[in-house]
Amino acid sequence: MRKSRPSQAGEQEGAPVLREPRMGPQPLATKRPKTRNQRRRTRQRHLEAGLAVIAGQTVGVLSRRLHLGGGTSIVGIVAQRVYPDIVEHLATQLEHGSIIITGTNGKTTTSNFIASIMRHAGLYVWNNKEGSNLMRGVAAALVTHALPNGQMRRTAEAISILEVDEAALPQVVRAVPPRVLVVTNLFRDQLDRYGEVDSILQYWQQAIKQLPDTSTLVLNADDPAIANLGIGFQGHILYYGIDDLSLNLLSQQDPTDVHHQTLDTRVCPACGNAYVYDVQFYSHMGHYHCPTCDTSRPQPEVSAKHIHLDTFDSWHVQLEKAGEAHELTVPLPGLYNVYNALAAVTAAQALAVGWEPISTAIEQAVPVFGRGERIEAEGRSIRLLLAKNPTGFNEVLRTLFTEEVSRHILFVLNDNTADGHDISWIWDVDFERAVGHTTTVTVAGTRAADLALRLKYAGLPQEQITVVPSAPLRALRQQIIQARKARRARRTGKLSAKQAAQLQPAAPYGLKQALSVALQQTPVGETLFVVPTYTALLEIHRELGQRGLTTNYWEGKNV
Amino acid sequence: MTQNFSQTRTLTLGHLYPDQLNLYGDRGNILTLRRRCELRGIELRVVGLGIGDALAPDEYDLLFIGGGQDKEQAPVAQDLYDLKGIGLWAAVEDDMPVLAVCGGFQLLAHYYRPAEGPDMRGLGVFDAWTIHKGPQVARCIGNIALGWNGSTLVGFENHGGRTYLGTAKPLGRVLKGHGNNAEDHTEGAIYRNAFGTYLHGSLLPKNPHFADHLIALALQRKYDREEPFAMHDISLDLVTDQFNHHTTEPNLPATRDTNADQLSPLDDTLEWEAHAAMLERLGLYSEAIDVLRTHHIALNSSTAS
Repeated sequence: MRKSRPSQAGEQEGAPVLREPRMGPQPLATKRPKTRNQRRRTRQRHLEAGLAVIAGQTVGVLSRRLHLGGGTSIVGIVAQRVYPDIVEHLATQLEHGSIIITGTNGKTTTSNFIASIMRHAGLYVWNNKEGSNLMRGVAAALVTHALPNGQMRRTAEAISILEVDEAALPQVVRAVPPRVLVVTNLFRDQLDRYGEVDSILQYWQQAIKQLPDTSTLVLNADDPAIANLGIGFQGHILYYGIDDLSLNLLSQQDPTDVHHQTLDTRVCPACGNAYVYDVQFYSHMGHYHCPTCDTSRPQPEVSAKHIHLDTFDSWHVQLEKAGEAHELTVPLPGLYNVYNALAAVTAAQALAVGWEPISTAIEQAVPVFGRGERIEAEGRSIRLLLAKNPTGFNEVLRTLFTEEVSRHILFVLNDNTADGHDISWIWDVDFERAVGHTTTVTVAGTRAADLALRLKYAGLPQEQITVVPSAPLRALRQQIIQARKARRARRTGKLSAKQAAQLQPAAPYGLKQALSVALQQTPVGETLFVVPTYTALLEIHRELGQRGLTTNYWEGKNV
Repeated sequence: MTQNFSQTRTLTLGHLYPDQLNLYGDRGNILTLRRRCELRGIELRVVGLGIGDALAPDEYDLLFIGGGQDKEQAPVAQDLYDLKGIGLWAAVEDDMPVLAVCGGFQLLAHYYRPAEGPDMRGLGVFDAWTIHKGPQVARCIGNIALGWNGSTLVGFENHGGRTYLGTAKPLGRVLKGHGNNAEDHTEGAIYRNAFGTYLHGSLLPKNPHFADHLIALALQRKYDREEPFAMHDISLDLVTDQFNHHTTEPNLPATRDTNADQLSPLDDTLEWEAHAAMLERLGLYSEAIDVLRTHHIALNSSTAS
């Protein structure tokens, strides 16, 4: 009785499932342990796993009750402490194994696409959508949906879709050998955490070496760093890429587009010579070859032949998959989401999923957490567009400013650990593109001053920009205190209205005020585009939640 | 008032290895120099100098070299030594302002000794050398502030190598952060008008006084010389492209009164607020107050709009 309580609590939250599990947990039925010793060890493992599940879930429930946070990561941390192999134990039970997605940008959207495709294909999906993408997040995702006997709630017809942090990949792959590993792209991101772009490649090469030959690699053909990951891999490789040459930046009239691209992979690893690009889509994504050795873009198995932007957030894609032509609508903004859709199509191809579930799933996709999400507030629309590194930011700006519409924007730049402490990358972002395309701009976050400076040097008109930093300068505190005193004096009648009018109001600070300022500046009926870094996105969500505009993201949205 | 010039002044900035050494927002330094020149009616031309290009010192008034990944630094080091070394030396000895950030700083010192593999030879402009102590020793990463010229400089540092100064003067003294080697509180190096530093983030936008210092040095060198401009072009003998030589005409002494203090002041409220915010972030509160006081910044001056 006592044992089963936490799992019931867990079940209730994860419960809005499409289908209830048809039967109880499947036994590990693959091999019968032969000797008594082995049988005892198996029982021992089940016992430990069960304990880990109970401990993790209990802590998760407590943490949520006590409002200590989302209570997702802690589940994984505790469960792993109790039984270090818990992830391996749970993940290997699933009939259809796991798909792992990694890369600098597009992990979350791609995972979301794939999960949706698999559901439409009739599979039961476990994922780490609400948790972190480190090992503990993966553990949490599985533990939350396990039973106290150390079994997953559902194993038959089930698959896990795991989004994994770039640096955590070797560790996760060791615990969960995936059936399909999808690698989306590699850009500079959080250099203060990862060191250099190349160190990420080393993690990935290490992870791919551990893959069994039965795994399939799904790689982006247009990113040379990613395409090269296939070299030496014994298993099956599927490439995806764009073959619509009308998107070529090199042939466009406006030379600034090419000029402001930041290339994060420039040279051929085999000979050290710079790649030559025949076609360039953005950053180092395109059709490349090495002028001296044989290295060149591999021919993609899934290729987008024609891409057409219907509206701000709807792409029409004609693609070719295994020799067949198909049409697809991608209902999300940005060319990068076309790449994400191609990655998902290719992953589905690796598991021989038919076209019907693929196209339905992608066409019905709704933006995930901060990736184009729309929220209605005070008669205005808010669109959240996460941007956390130069290439991601550049693509968000390109999405916002290609149409001849003037925008209202709230930029939020934080430099917390999850964002990266180093914000020098904002100077690699092409904010010059925004000039002449903005009506009002609000700048907020822990590094609001830096971003305001960047916009100033980009040439944005100063009178459009309102800076609302996270905290006021302490050096100006004396003045703030004086302003406060003056206001009090005004209220108590010690100061005449005329005197008070001469006093400037205290400058706003904090995200709450930033959002209010930005909303006020956006006329009713128009859209405020919010472009936050990662932790800023969490703050925005919390703030919107407090205003009753969204649900908390960790609450029961698993299926 | 002091700027009554009959002709617009122009400066030419040589940007070394813009494709290879551009890891840490180095574009911000160029943007800052360009805009601050523009606002004063000075035209700043930026010329990229990549691998294989020679450096003819009399074609430039300012040089900038940024930082990059270790992998990209080796071919750059070779090229710098083989093709640009003499030109760069001549420029430095002729008091050309040079800003070298991070990897660029390391390449202008004597050598860079990686954790494994052969030493990378530098130009030796700064009497200093850099040693990477292997992956066990933590990188120097984080926000940093230093004392410079009676004021402060703020930025971000991220380097594995540790630099030790011989006779080279440091750029400044570390107030908070690691600096050259996290041991002796020195940061960067100075030789004549060449400045080496680990500060990026980018360095110049939040340190407008330093940006102006570089511009003033370049203007002074170009327009304020007592002796006529007479560079002995040894380096050009090494250069195949002799034909561009005649394009640099001798400069007429249009003005005599330009110097570091006479750059017309700009509205740098945002710059100094960002500067002060970083100082406060590092716990340097009295320095932050000094900065705001020196530059007469009061509450709401930038945010009330």
